[in-house]
Amino acid sequence: MKQCFNLISQLVKMAEVHVIGQIVGASGFPDHSLFCKWGIHSGGGWKILSGLREGQTQVDNPQSQDAAYFAHPIDIHFATKGIQGWPRMHFQVWHQDAFGRNELYGYGFVHLPTSPGQHEIDCPTWRPTGTFMESVSQFFLGGGPHLKNPDLIYSGADRYKLQTIAMGKIHLRIGIILRNFDKFGIEC
Amino acid sequence: MAAPSVFLLMVSGQIESAEFPEFDDIYCKYCFSYGLDWAITSGLDESITQITKKSRDQYQRFVWNFPIDATFKSTSPSGWPQLVVYAYGLDAFGTDVVRGYGVCHIPITPGRHRLRIPMFVPESSSLLQKLTAWFLGRRPEYVNPRVVAQGEGREVTRVRTQGFLSVSFNVIMKDMKKLGYDILPSDVQNPTIPAGVAGTEKPAQAS
Repeated sequence: MKQCFNLISQLVKMAEVHVIGQIVGASGFPDHSLFCKWGIHSGGGWKILSGLREGQTQVDNPQSQDAAYFAHPIDIHFATKGIQGWPRMHFQVWHQDAFGRNELYGYGFVHLPTSPGQHEIDCPTWRPTGTFMESVSQFFLGGGPHLKNPDLIYSGADRYKLQTIAMGKIHLRIGIILRNFDKFGIEC
Repeated sequence: MAAPSVFLLMVSGQIESAEFPEFDDIYCKYCFSYGLDWAITSGLDESITQITKKSRDQYQRFVWNFPIDATFKSTSPSGWPQLVVYAYGLDAFGTDVVRGYGVCHIPITPGRHRLRIPMFVPESSSLLQKLTAWFLGRRPEYVNPRVVAQGEGREVTRVRTQGFLSVSFNVIMKDMKKLGYDILPSDVQNPTIPAGVAGTEKPAQAS
């Protein structure tokens, strides 16, 4: 089935993108028992041939380090007819405490690199803030505002209505392999 | 000449050293995890290092200097090989317990690469389980270590990072460009424009 599709895409000369890497970890957050939900959003012309489009990492509670490490592997194969809608990877970092309760720590997104090779990427994250009374209750009880529509993590529409505060960073090590882009005259 | 249908990936490197601040007497096993399109053509798929003690200086390093040599062939980059390393140590009672699992992809660009990968262990679900695990020497471990090389089913695991491992790789590839794969950015000053792209004339036919 894969061989068949490879043959067809060679004949039709669709451009292909391989994303091979890991979500290494996260640092700079107030506490370190973290996990990360991730997903990839791409434009209409992109198709995923193999690999998972979204997932959730393990929960890491490091012994003595100052960052949480997920080591979550990513291996996705895209085929595309155009360069519009280059895929974006979005993240939600959550904190899990000793009682198993989850609290949102941050949202972030990053475009997948457009040039082939190995890339080390840091994705900054932010968290929505509420009113002063809401942040006081958040300090004592946890919880806090979440986005109603998670599309806002990677889109710019209607962002001006949000008030947010900065949180830590997510570290990625992503390798990109491109195929047939030069045959379309794309320089990347 | 027939166009190649497979490309080769050759990795030579070593498991250099590790830092585990709280433990001593550690050895490593490694194995490769790769997709269905891949096959290992030469070299060992898995191996075990020696047992080493940490250095008696302020760095407290474990050094193995253990060689890794493998050649893979594949038709597609999907399922790119990953190196899975699992470290075992001796606990207070002398039994082997797992000290960390670590995983990293073989780098996709040719050349020399040095990586520092975190080593984590699964955590017991409750305090009572932790206590019995400590007594009996049966810590939580993965039934199949290759599960750390997959992204599925990880959302229910809780782990604790206990140390870091330093690995170095030297990577060589063969025939990736002939199959149309680009692993390095294009050189806009000296572009290579393949035959048949609009605006260029066809190259002379090979005799």
